[in-house]
Amino acid sequence: MRVCVVWRLLRGRKSSRRAVLLLGLCDSGKTLLFVRLLTGKYRNTQTSITDSSAIYKVSNDKGTSMTLIDLPGHESLRLQFLEKFKAAARAIVFVVDSVMFQREVKDVAEFLYQVLVDGMVLKNAPPLLIACNKQDITMAKSAKLIRLQLEKELNTLRVTRSAAPTSLDGSTSGGAAQLGKRGKEFDFSQLPMKVEFVECSARGSKGDEGSADIEDLEKWLAKIA
Amino acid sequence: MLDFFTIFSKGGLVLWCFQGVRGPAAACTAPVNALIRSVLLQERGGNNSFNHEALTLKYKLDNQFELVFVVGFQKILTLTYVDKLIDDVHKEFRDKYRNEFQQKGTLGLLNGTFDFKEDFLHLLQEAEESSKVRAPPVMKTFEQSVKSQKTVKSMIETRGEKPKEKTKNKKNKGSKKDASGTEAATVPSKAAPVAKQNPPTSAGDREELTKDEILQKNREEFFKRHMKGGEKSSKSPKPETQKEKGKKPRVWDLGNSNAKVLDYSNSTTNGNTETCPAEEFDPDMALGDRNREPGRLYDLDYESDEEEPEEEKVAQNPSKPGAKKGGLGGMFGMLKGLVGSKSLTREDMDSVLEKMKDHLIAKNVATDIAVQLCESVAKKLEGKVMGTFTTVTSTVKQALQEALVQILQPQRRVDILRDVMDAQRHHRPYVVTFCGVNGVGKSTNLAKISFWLIENGFSVLIAACDTFRAGAVEQLRTHTRRLNALHPPESHSGRIMVQLYEKGYGKDAAGIAMEAISYARNQGFDVVLVDTAGRMQDNAPLMTALAKLIAVNTPDLVLFVGEALVGNEAVDQLVKFNKALADYSMAQTPRLIDGIVLTKFDTIDDKVGAAISMTYITSKPIVFVGTGQTYCDLRSLNAKAVVAALMKA
Repeated sequence: MRVCVVWRLLRGRKSSRRAVLLLGLCDSGKTLLFVRLLTGKYRNTQTSITDSSAIYKVSNDKGTSMTLIDLPGHESLRLQFLEKFKAAARAIVFVVDSVMFQREVKDVAEFLYQVLVDGMVLKNAPPLLIACNKQDITMAKSAKLIRLQLEKELNTLRVTRSAAPTSLDGSTSGGAAQLGKRGKEFDFSQLPMKVEFVECSARGSKGDEGSADIEDLEKWLAKIA
Repeated sequence: MLDFFTIFSKGGLVLWCFQGVRGPAAACTAPVNALIRSVLLQERGGNNSFNHEALTLKYKLDNQFELVFVVGFQKILTLTYVDKLIDDVHKEFRDKYRNEFQQKGTLGLLNGTFDFKEDFLHLLQEAEESSKVRAPPVMKTFEQSVKSQKTVKSMIETRGEKPKEKTKNKKNKGSKKDASGTEAATVPSKAAPVAKQNPPTSAGDREELTKDEILQKNREEFFKRHMKGGEKSSKSPKPETQKEKGKKPRVWDLGNSNAKVLDYSNSTTNGNTETCPAEEFDPDMALGDRNREPGRLYDLDYESDEEEPEEEKVAQNPSKPGAKKGGLGGMFGMLKGLVGSKSLTREDMDSVLEKMKDHLIAKNVATDIAVQLCESVAKKLEGKVMGTFTTVTSTVKQALQEALVQILQPQRRVDILRDVMDAQRHHRPYVVTFCGVNGVGKSTNLAKISFWLIENGFSVLIAACDTFRAGAVEQLRTHTRRLNALHPPESHSGRIMVQLYEKGYGKDAAGIAMEAISYARNQGFDVVLVDTAGRMQDNAPLMTALAKLIAVNTPDLVLFVGEALVGNEAVDQLVKFNKALADYSMAQTPRLIDGIVLTKFDTIDDKVGAAISMTYITSKPIVFVGTGQTYCDLRSLNAKAVVAALMKA
């Protein structure tokens, strides 16, 4: 009897994390991806100022459903919403604008760093997918290039963020955690969670009428469900 | 007339869009994004209109269903019906699609088709017509007016010779009017009263004097009846009558007098009463406050203290009747709030917001900013449906807390070490300029920041561009010596970690800065910290000098140093500093303040409002916080801790 209760409690805690978070910088395409995943149609979007969530039915044989949550990417809001939803995160999809990546690499890396050193994220270690969006545009960078650049940038950020002045109430800004292994160059494989890179295009190569190019994303979602 | 009208959800989905005069649909996303970023996300939502390039955008929030309604039209047009149109559209849209919002939630928004065009066009037509109705009525022709019915004789006023000429002229003009008989007659009828003035001037002095005498007499009676000091006001008709003479030579009162009279050296009073105009000498006014002791030097009058209690009284009075009303309705309101879902109205929130505003002001947030912040929070919460077991106070407090955290979050990356590394790679020094008013701690915090940079392995050149204050160069020299003692060259592979570049006192600061930067580039220093003299924001020549220094040397980072003790002054300081920098710069996008250093943070315990004031005004992040006078007293800002201290009772 007691074992049953304990087992149910344990299972309950795991199943309370049924949300997939869509994170990323402003204008990276999170809201459009959200719409495409749920309805398959194209809609015009504006800068989000609050989160949107909906139930998403995964396309696998079990037909499990998860909650897809689209968080705003604006600098003033992103950390607040991450705080609210990180406990319920079963998986994280980090959307990157592949076209503007070269210019924004430092900002992307900073946000990714903030997500990765968060205490709860490190504890739960949800699988992380970095979706390189906007591949329909010709100038888009490939996933491999983005991965290399992010690893280099995060390597530098480890040093600079931990050297930043301590915060007013004594906690360090970068968190006490060290990203990856000390002494070695940073690599995504050093992280406690599984990290994958996919290429996708929320708008799709055929423009507004056609479907989006998000099969890899859907397959990954089916895998982790 | 409208450029576009969009309705979108707060989550980012565009539900419906109307293209008025504009071209492609994408043209309305950029201004709306700008609106969202500058107004809604920076908590400047108190005023509901926003200008972006050539467009004016007006918006309305629906907090119950999380929608935003935005209309855009050309800035040069002044359309009066826009506010009403937005309200009407809001009501229509909400009523029409209420089911979809309430029942289906997000999926309803995604899947629903919002076919709102006909309703919108109908509302637009109504609004445009209602504005046209208020056009001014057509002016009556002379024939239609009452005046043409009167006979000339009935309008004669007894004034002597003048009326005959008046009527003569009027008759002439009248015959002219009858001859033309068009609508243009209204113009000559308006010119008739003007013509009244002209015949007197051609007639002569006598008539004018009579009229002026009458005027003067009337005026004197009027003033004697109503006011004291009538002599002073009787002086005023005199220069007026002199002006009305037209082309008469001007007679100066003192012009006829000779040198003897103008010689004031002997007389005890200023001139004699015959030659000077009768000036009323009011001894009370000249001496001022008679209660003062003669010869004593009084302190500055603290007028601000007298004004503040009035403001508080004014603020308290509306809140008192509000509290009374709230007392009775509050009971039922509380029950309703506990059980069902209640939507927030302005009246509910007003008393709570007043309290929060006073609380913020007590915590040293600038008054204007506290007001604007509360307005913005009110706009965000109006119409929102509260959950069960939440009171109005808790909802408002929660929203205010979120708004404050949002303001304190940096809008751009704050990582100086990363940027220094970048500059290192390009073989050029990273230049930081410190500016601020007198005595805020620029030199002290410059030393702290250089210590931090040296600890992280970067070599620093300090440029002493404060060539005014006595001892400024010596102060920096002492700091340099101490830092070199703490980090001797031996422990950094023979590199001198910190050096002072100074050219003494009295020289041009911008020139010294330029030389320092080129010296650093030649010698391979990583960072240049430029210390400038403290200056008041009202001192125009000094502000121009600072702006010149920044425009000429284009530093990588311009830091404004402000102390945490400052209250409402912070707003004035930052606005004027930014304005000076923007005015002087010739560039398209002028260099403004990039970051703020908040100093003397250990002197305030929890009155941390200055942080909010400064970030709200500039929307730039607080890069460092100074908490003491030793080298280790440098911190970074923790938004949550500051907001917690701010909201603490």
